[in-house]
Amino acid sequence: MKSPLFTFWGVYSVWHRHAKVYQRTWLVNCLPPLSEPIIYLVAFGYGLTPLVGDVPYGGQTVPYLKFIAPAMMAIGVLFQSFFEGAYASFIRLNFQKTWQALLTGPLSFSDVFIGDWLWATTKGMIAGTLTGLIAVIWGLYSGWNLLLSLPVMLLGSTLFGAMGLFTAGSVRQIDQVNIPIFLFIIPMFTLCGTYFPRSTLPPVLGNIASVLPLASLIDLLRWNLGLPSLWWLQVLWLFSLMVIFAILAARRIYPQLIK
Amino acid sequence: MIAAIEDSGNVLLVLESFFLDSSFLDSVNPVQSRNGNLLLATTMLTSNTLVTEKPALVAYDLWKLYGTHPVVQGVNFTLNPGEILGLLGPNGAGKTTTVGMLYGAVKPSRGFVKLGSTQVQSNGRLARRRMGIVTQEDNLDPDFSVMENLIHFAHHYRILGRAARQRASELLDKVDLQDYARHSIDELSGGMKRRLVLARALINSPQVVFLDEPTTGLDPDARQEFWKLVSSLKQQGCSVLLTTHYMDEAQRLCDRLILLLQGQVIDQGTPAELIKRTIGDEVVEISGVNAAQLQALAEQADTWCRSFGDGYLVALPPDRPSLWEQLVTLQPHRLTRRLANLEDVFLHLTGKVLQ
Repeated sequence: MKSPLFTFWGVYSVWHRHAKVYQRTWLVNCLPPLSEPIIYLVAFGYGLTPLVGDVPYGGQTVPYLKFIAPAMMAIGVLFQSFFEGAYASFIRLNFQKTWQALLTGPLSFSDVFIGDWLWATTKGMIAGTLTGLIAVIWGLYSGWNLLLSLPVMLLGSTLFGAMGLFTAGSVRQIDQVNIPIFLFIIPMFTLCGTYFPRSTLPPVLGNIASVLPLASLIDLLRWNLGLPSLWWLQVLWLFSLMVIFAILAARRIYPQLIK
Repeated sequence: MIAAIEDSGNVLLVLESFFLDSSFLDSVNPVQSRNGNLLLATTMLTSNTLVTEKPALVAYDLWKLYGTHPVVQGVNFTLNPGEILGLLGPNGAGKTTTVGMLYGAVKPSRGFVKLGSTQVQSNGRLARRRMGIVTQEDNLDPDFSVMENLIHFAHHYRILGRAARQRASELLDKVDLQDYARHSIDELSGGMKRRLVLARALINSPQVVFLDEPTTGLDPDARQEFWKLVSSLKQQGCSVLLTTHYMDEAQRLCDRLILLLQGQVIDQGTPAELIKRTIGDEVVEISGVNAAQLQALAEQADTWCRSFGDGYLVALPPDRPSLWEQLVTLQPHRLTRRLANLEDVFLHLTGKVLQ
């Protein structure tokens, strides 16, 4: 009888290993997701709000800080889950040989892959939630809003974690991780309606930016300011991309471990 | 004659048995059953009695091709309970690839591996619950201390809390690393790291342990220490498969050896059997002689002679005691008579020096 593709314990065991490493330096690890949104909110809030004032969004005008707060959450999700999937997984795969060591235990490739992916997702969730808590404390997002946004953040974290893993499986040298960062992550970070409404972009650029997954994630996290009419299509888009990138990532990494 | 043996209601074995000669002892004869399952077991035939000992592990017709290039070609063997089996061969012989297929890190192009009744290729996770694996590379977790490496690996086997700490502590005692329990991996020497990898492989009290070139790069003292640990595994009833290109290691540790060259088994047997069968008891190392004269003497004595270092190696057949005196008459620069060893076997079979 063939054994199942993955087991709960196998996945949890791998996730648990990463969580234990994180736990050892949790203070250092928690600092970027806490400090970054504070710095951004302070800088943009105090620096730009007097110049920008309110911004048009979804047929209404909203205070600039309320506009960028959900985007900060999305960026936290993007960076933490992508970087964990890309850099940390690459290191575990190629330098520390953690994946290879785990596969000498009672774990399948799927256990290790999903465990790593789940950990990248967890990092995204930690960042998104911490940023959301700051937004709640700042009065920019209600506690209920944050609670109801968690599934959206989860979707974003799994997607960007899978993209990170795909990167880790595709590059041969650690410096090459910079290529998708410069070509994809940074443009997405700047153009997807993070700091300004996409409607201000030239139509072609605005349309391109709208297709990028961060745009959908930000739109969905701004649901308290009004959901786009095709929000379900954006959920479907993020979900589809997540599945595609997870499959691509697994296909890239598997041959490196199972010859 | 066909004998069928039942195990837990499943037919495990069909053997063409009673007219097998002794060279077939301890071999595997897989046969397709009526329901399509492959049937396996080892056989031991004694006078009129068929005794069956279930092997700890069976590798059947293992092939690995990368593209069209064969790396392993039709390797068959069994590993018996409490046995240390050595895979001996030069670099590139296919040892690591074979070990990879045994625990599921390499997918065979053909053939399969069974650990007990569990097929590794379709049920690797379950099989590895009963395996301990020491790979060639040190893949200890640098994020954890020595003790934590064991505790966290135990977690994968659901050995948790106090049980994990206790097991880790026992193993650190066993590999003599208790004093380093709180140290980081970077603080360990090469030998210590290998011992820790072995301890990690033993965390689940495995039935079968794979050691892939475990002492490569270690100094002589560290190798001796490691050998003691491997010997202790056998005493505990553990089956060990060891790959090595060190002849002394193979000769000292292994009950049985499989010689691999270019992915193929070129011979197998106990170290003593291999030496006796291939070389005989003694060899002579000789240098500074006329090659043609030496060759003529060897041919006359019906023995073999190979180029070896700056001289030659000549097997001394026990039925030709005069050969030694004849070699002395050649007035060589150097002439050494010694007991034959595995290196001589390998040189004879392949024309290559292993170390």
